Amino acid sequence: MSWRIFKFFESEELKDPDSTNSFHSLLSRPNCGITCFTCGRGQMVLGDSQGSLHVLTSFSDILSTSAYLLRVSLVYQMRQRNVIITVGDDEDLMPIIRVWNYEKLTKEGIPTLSRSIPALIPNGRQSSVMVVCAHESMTLMAVGFKDGTVVTVRGNLMRDRLSTMKVVHSESTPGVYATGLGFRQVKNRTILLISTSDAVYTVDLTLKTETKLDSIGCELGCSTMTDHTQDYKFVIARSEAVYFYTPEGRAQAFAFEGEKVLLRWYRGYLISVVYGARGSSARAAAKSGAKDVMTVSVYDIQNQFVAYQMTLNGRVVDVVSEWGSLYILLRDGRLIRLEENDTKTKLETLFKKNLYPTAINLARSQSYNDGLIDIFTQYGDHLYSKGDFDGAIEQYILTIGKLEPSYVIRKFLDAQRIHNLTDYLKALHKKGIANADHTTLLLNCYTKLRDIDQLDAFVTESHSPTFDVSTAIHVCRQANYHRHALALAKKYKKHDSYLLIQLEDLHDCDDAMEYIARLKFRDAEASMIKYGKLLLTELPDDTTRLLQNLCTDWLPRGQTPRPEDVVPDWSDPALYIELFVNHRHHLTVFLEHQISTHTSGNLRDVIFTTLLELYLAEIGACRTPEERTAKEKRALELMQRKNATFDLDHALVLAQIHDFKSGILFLYEKAGLFQQILQYHMEHNDYQSVMATCKRHGRKDPNLWVQALSFFSSRRECKGQIPEVLQHIDEDQLMPPLMVIQTLADSQFSTLSDIKPYIVKHLQKENEQIAKDEQSIRQYRDETGRIRENVKELQTSAKIFQMMKCSLCRRGLSLPAIHFLCKHSFHQDCLQDELEHECPLCYRDNRKVLDIIQRQEQTAGLHEQFHSQLQRSPDGFSVVAEYFGRGVFNKRSSSKSPGSSVEQRKA
Amino acid sequence: MSYSYLFKYIIIGDTGVGKSCLLLQFTDKRFQPVHDLTIGVEFGARMINIDGKQIKLQIWDTAGQESFRSITRSYYRGAAGALLVYDITRRETFEHLTSWLEDARQHSSANMVIMLIGNKSDLEAKREVTAEEGLSFAKEHALVFMETSAKTAANVEEAFINTAKEIYQKIQDGIFDVTNEANGIKLGPQYQTGGPSRPGAIDSGKPPGQGGCC
Ligand SMILES: Nc1nc2c(ncn2[C@@H]2O[C@H](COP(=O)(O)OP(=O)(O)OP(=O)(O)O)[C@@H](O)[C@H]2O)c(=O)[nH]1
Ligand SMILES: [Mg+2]
Ligand SMILES: [Zn+2]
Ligand SMILES: [Zn+2]
Repeated sequence: MSWRIFKFFESEELKDPDSTNSFHSLLSRPNCGITCFTCGRGQMVLGDSQGSLHVLTSFSDILSTSAYLLRVSLVYQMRQRNVIITVGDDEDLMPIIRVWNYEKLTKEGIPTLSRSIPALIPNGRQSSVMVVCAHESMTLMAVGFKDGTVVTVRGNLMRDRLSTMKVVHSESTPGVYATGLGFRQVKNRTILLISTSDAVYTVDLTLKTETKLDSIGCELGCSTMTDHTQDYKFVIARSEAVYFYTPEGRAQAFAFEGEKVLLRWYRGYLISVVYGARGSSARAAAKSGAKDVMTVSVYDIQNQFVAYQMTLNGRVVDVVSEWGSLYILLRDGRLIRLEENDTKTKLETLFKKNLYPTAINLARSQSYNDGLIDIFTQYGDHLYSKGDFDGAIEQYILTIGKLEPSYVIRKFLDAQRIHNLTDYLKALHKKGIANADHTTLLLNCYTKLRDIDQLDAFVTESHSPTFDVSTAIHVCRQANYHRHALALAKKYKKHDSYLLIQLEDLHDCDDAMEYIARLKFRDAEASMIKYGKLLLTELPDDTTRLLQNLCTDWLPRGQTPRPEDVVPDWSDPALYIELFVNHRHHLTVFLEHQISTHTSGNLRDVIFTTLLELYLAEIGACRTPEERTAKEKRALELMQRKNATFDLDHALVLAQIHDFKSGILFLYEKAGLFQQILQYHMEHNDYQSVMATCKRHGRKDPNLWVQALSFFSSRRECKGQIPEVLQHIDEDQLMPPLMVIQTLADSQFSTLSDIKPYIVKHLQKENEQIAKDEQSIRQYRDETGRIRENVKELQTSAKIFQMMKCSLCRRGLSLPAIHFLCKHSFHQDCLQDELEHECPLCYRDNRKVLDIIQRQEQTAGLHEQFHSQLQRSPDGFSVVAEYFGRGVFNKRSSSKSPGSSVEQRKA
Repeated sequence: MSYSYLFKYIIIGDTGVGKSCLLLQFTDKRFQPVHDLTIGVEFGARMINIDGKQIKLQIWDTAGQESFRSITRSYYRGAAGALLVYDITRRETFEHLTSWLEDARQHSSANMVIMLIGNKSDLEAKREVTAEEGLSFAKEHALVFMETSAKTAANVEEAFINTAKEIYQKIQDGIFDVTNEANGIKLGPQYQTGGPSRPGAIDSGKPPGQGGCC
């Protein structure tokens, strides 16, 4: 019926250390009972019935001062400064308040007495002091009297000046006495909380107002002020409960039963001392009259448990806290120290009892954050082992971020607790630390549980994704939650996935189409390359139109063009050709559109070639010649387009397959294949065209005529053409007459009469030539004879140089002189700069002759050239003759020296 | 934080019906699975907003156990609203409503708005009191009715806020005298018109440097 009780403190009775001036010796003095006890600022303060004030800075370091003649009845330790306020009597019925300054000690070590104020009620009434309290500003003090009056004393407590005393509360009911006081500062207002034996009041000393907070009161020593952990509340203890107050009114109340002796506050703990043994009811304690048995309880108000409880045989004088511990002082002089366990120890205790929620609260209140995760984990494990999976998962969720998720996931997978697992995974996602596996698992849970709502929520989750989107889409898709997969794909712009689902799973081509139409250029392009084939099958018209847009100027649907889009994107139409298998008609439409749009010649030849192929295929399917003509016309027009480029070989093959005559010829011509053109006409026995081709291209390829000749000669009906052909051959000397005759001789159909004019003409020409040649021969022979004689003469007879003058300076010759066989003579000096071996006047002519000889000899070695010339020449004989003349057959090393010059010197 | 009005609430009903949990859910948005018996009176506070006005709810959570009645009863006084809670999974808590209602009517102001709460609506499988029964009890005694779950937080906000709306309406209608604190309503500091000598003119405050909890 009450809070749980723990043992978070270790108790120890402090036994006498053998020092004479010790705390124990003080307590064990006979007849000098300790009357009051307080602490703060690292020291304990005691007043005794002999009028002495003892200040302990440690248990063996005591400063005792005689403060009153008769007795000390109350002590109050200021916190901010080492100042102690006492109430006591020098003579009976004359209580005096004294202020002791322990910061200023005399040489003898006695504290300075700062002030001494008679504790009188201003109106002169006399009453004993029950309680005293001072404001930390050291300018305000409150004194509570036995008749219920409360008086404030204003003025600097450190200086002995006149002070103003004022009654702030008085009682009309006899027998009511003041039992507790406490100051609180609320902003700039000073508030005094008062407890009497039958009520609680709050007095605003600044606004001078008084409010009765409660009409129940408490005994002396049974009120206290809490610290910040409970918002500086005022607390009173009554036998049925303890009540908390703010300056405004009541706060919480706890039914801690028992007749209270003392109420104290220590660092978040409320300490109460009650009559009777622990656990016994108040009534029982009262009945037994056991006034010498008391129970001390330490309550943790925030976490709602009893941190410690102990029953003592003996009367408790006070419980104070100093030097990090709690001390219980008993009337018989015993001193018990309570030492608090550290947080870790406390938590371990709680774990042992499986009191995890309490442990969590405790750790939180002590800011023991490092340990919290561990508690959550242990608590989770505990609940799990008890089969409380709901509870366990709640704890595990709190560990997210610290505890390895796989630990939890495995546990719940093992137990097949999908709901719990789902909660956990959801929390992981919320915290943004879920990985792809977690996402997969979560979605699998949803789908397994058929939890459409959760799936919906997952998909529509508005913040940035805390999961791997691709995985999520994949999982939804696999589980046949296509709508969800689709929504995810759309939301996170996974276009590829979107289309895949829409086309393969949902078969909603219209939507896919619309979706692509709204994509940016790059995305649309990629999508069409991937899905175009499928879309073409389903929606050929729309798809073709979309592709047309894509390859000309793309603008996502529903988007108004912005200035930066002025340069439109366009895709290479060649990329899409293969999509159109089985869609010849649409491919035709598509390609025609491209060709008519892209007029600047930036289309690849595959576009034209493909379109041509399509056209030609249609030709093949034509039924009437008219139809065929029209189709052929169209194909030819395509080929003739200014911007058209073709893969010629491919196009040719196509044209040949489909026997597209004008096309083939066009292509031959384009490719410069005149032979083929001729061949083509020949095969088709189109004599006129053969003729025309020769005429048109004969200049570029003279061989055409030759072929035409042999062709015509093989046709009986072509006699008429032969003369014309021969005429061309003759004019351009394309063939030696012998070959012409040979060719015609091979023909079955040519007769001699056909070529008679040709032969006659040639024989005539030959004769003329022979006559001309014979004349030349005669001429050369004469000349040769003359030269031979000259040579003979030079070789056999002496030469007489008769020149009298130098051929250069035209002056009379004198020795030394040089004579050349050419009959030129020179002064040797005049020849100085010249070549001495050659006549300066004749050498130029000599050199020319020498050069000719040399060149002839050189070319004689070039067999290649000889052969080719021989082949090319219509008259091989003349070539051979020419080479013979050049000395092809001479011995090497023939004429090297300039044999025409002879040197002779006259000494 | 400043407010226009402060409404005082009490939560009453048998032990274990979830009074403390309802308060915790409303103030801290948490749920406490273990039953921490309330052994006196505790309180919490939260700001809400009605009609653009900041309203501070000061909520007194009382112990449901019979033995604490003498202590808790004294806290009924001056409450503007009460949440009378029963547990839909325990019929006896529903049957005790009459005695709680009597207690409340006797110790609090006549105008107090009482909201009847059937708690633990999440435990549908263990239900012992139907919603219709709850509703007809409420009608009979002129109460507002609602089923809640302190665990899932279902209807928890609504329970507290609707009560406040009801009170606020009564203020607008002039039924409540806002200057009389015995009605459990207090005007916010900046709305006060009374002189400095008027009792209770003390603002809730803390020592300098202290953060507030309510
Ligand atoms: N399932 C469920 N359990 C609840 C709900 N509200 C409270 N509980 C549980 O019921 C038990 C009692 O809750 P409390 O809020 O402590 O009960 P109380 O009304 O304050 O009880 P007293 O303090 O004794 O008057 C606890 O174990 C809670 O976890 C709820 O809405 N649903
Ligand atoms: Mg409770
Ligand atoms: Zn000369
Ligand atoms: Zn010469």
